Amino acid sequence: MALNGKQKKLLFTNLVRAHALDRMMMRIIRAGKMVGFYHEGGIALAPGVAAGSFLRQDDAMNPHYRAHGLAHMIGKGVDLRTYVAEHMGRVDGCCKGRSSFHVSFPDHHIFGWSGNIGANFPPCIGYGFAARYRGTDQVVMNCSGDGSYQEGRAHEAMLMSANWKLPHIFWCENNGISQSTAASETFPVQDVSRLAATFEIPALIVDGQDLFACGEAALKAIAHARAGKGPFFVELKTYRSQEHNVGGLNNEGAVTRDPKLMQEWRETLDPVALAAAKLIKQRLYTADEIEQIKADAEREADEIELFCEASPKATPSIDELMNGVYAQ
Amino acid sequence: MNAKGQDKMSTTREITLGDAMKEALAEEMRRDEDVFLLGISIRAGTFLYTKGLVDEFGGKRVIDAPLAEPGNFGVAYGAAQEGLRPVLDWMYAGFSYFAGSEVFLQSGQYHFLHGSQHPLPLTMIGTCGVGRRVGNEHATLPYGALIHHPGLKVCLPSTPYDAKGLLKSAIRDNNPVFFLWHTSLMATKGHVPLEDYVVPLGVADVKRAGSDVTVLASGLQLHHSLKAAEALKDEISVEVIDPRSFEPFDLDCLLRSVEKTSRLVIVDEDYERAGFAAEVCALMMEKGYDLLDAPVKRVCHPNMPIPGGYIDAYSMPTPDRIEAAIREVCR
Repeated sequence: MALNGKQKKLLFTNLVRAHALDRMMMRIIRAGKMVGFYHEGGIALAPGVAAGSFLRQDDAMNPHYRAHGLAHMIGKGVDLRTYVAEHMGRVDGCCKGRSSFHVSFPDHHIFGWSGNIGANFPPCIGYGFAARYRGTDQVVMNCSGDGSYQEGRAHEAMLMSANWKLPHIFWCENNGISQSTAASETFPVQDVSRLAATFEIPALIVDGQDLFACGEAALKAIAHARAGKGPFFVELKTYRSQEHNVGGLNNEGAVTRDPKLMQEWRETLDPVALAAAKLIKQRLYTADEIEQIKADAEREADEIELFCEASPKATPSIDELMNGVYAQ
Repeated sequence: MNAKGQDKMSTTREITLGDAMKEALAEEMRRDEDVFLLGISIRAGTFLYTKGLVDEFGGKRVIDAPLAEPGNFGVAYGAAQEGLRPVLDWMYAGFSYFAGSEVFLQSGQYHFLHGSQHPLPLTMIGTCGVGRRVGNEHATLPYGALIHHPGLKVCLPSTPYDAKGLLKSAIRDNNPVFFLWHTSLMATKGHVPLEDYVVPLGVADVKRAGSDVTVLASGLQLHHSLKAAEALKDEISVEVIDPRSFEPFDLDCLLRSVEKTSRLVIVDEDYERAGFAAEVCALMMEKGYDLLDAPVKRVCHPNMPIPGGYIDAYSMPTPDRIEAAIREVCR
């Protein structure tokens, strides 16, 4: 499905914002101001931006934990100040500063994700089920990496959503490595999307560094699911050009990944640079306009950081917390 | 309400615990279109309480799920987050351990972790109980493990009246509730009113009044305890209390009873170690120590796996063992 100019501009702006925020999150964690951990997005943010940018507010989404769903949620329109504040354990956090990184935005049908990789699949069946139960045309954008498809829950979700023809989009951001184990060591197939064929789920393989290819795939998958044709699988080939999480090793097996290769990826596969070149060539943006978008994104990130710094640390009393264990 | 909770009810009839559960499900499904029922082979009715419900409510609301416990949990959990009121039938409660992370760390902890802002109306049903000769997986009683994880509500009825009222409370609750029922009690009969009623979670019931010793027991063990009390009636006056729910737990009811009797026996069909009985012992030390004239006594399943075969008839608490424990604390 071809993108129009407006859609390309939206994707690009969101990608630039995601990058600015990813870098800001790295500043915060390196300054010791984040309460939990962070998994840097780096050059792997285009798939997430595409996944979120064309959804409606009432479409359910499970963001991938890579960049802690920043790229995904930017498009969904959540209040990013409360997202970052949550990561900093502040009272203005979306979960009142008690979830660490398990952020949630139920008004946007983002119900929080689990630290257990693969735990995202079963609830996504439920979101699709609820849409069908109520007869709505909501879709479910289920984003995760390749590693989560090693979990049995992924296979249960493909089985059930295919069998019940649920509007469930399996959005697999395949960076070829889960923590320090190469995908080639854990999968008997080269393309994770091959698994979808077993369940007769249509699948696409997309260059995850090509922002506009990711966007076209998102439009196609969303249209398929919204039309009631059942689940759809998109595999987006991308790269992890840094360690799994801040402070972790950047290994493949027992071997350190080549720093020169990582540097080469960052220089040649940066989705912002690749997309900017296309936009200029297609005369959708001038170089100056692109610089302005980048400057705006930096300012947004700075303002969010300032807001969160000013928000007090959340240290409610145990009594207050105990009153919140159960809903009324 | 009296001990049976029925004094205001004009019309009752005798039905089984399974039929009482079925009435609760059907009435709540009629009352609220957001309520649906999901489980493995529930249309045919692995247990009779779901048999025939599909005839009234159709396959949209009575759903045979695949053999995929985490996936099935996800249907219920995700649908509850989207605002529906699912009832997930695990068949055997021990099967829920297939989705252990989901049950223990997700279901009950979602609300708190996400800022106490979003309800999660999710009912889980599972049977449990020793004495069917089938071994640990089909018998295990998970309430001790469940209440160890904050955020879940957990109940286990001993009568058809309580079963119907508790199940209705569970479905109307805005939190995840694990409704357990004892396999050996499915055909147990009792009076159940025709009128709509609920048994609130967290309200214990004095099933037999007495003055010498308090016995706290649930499910099948409530009946074993009543047998022991009856056998002892000419020597010892036994008060038998059914907590009905483990979380919330009606500690006040227990303390009021022990204030009168000064003695306590806790009967628990679950493993003895670190279970519900141990929790109540600790609560008594902290909140009721001065009320006691004798050490609290536990009667539980020994700390060995629940066996199959003919052994489980005596590895679980029996009326004889309960009677002996009562005599011991009343010496």
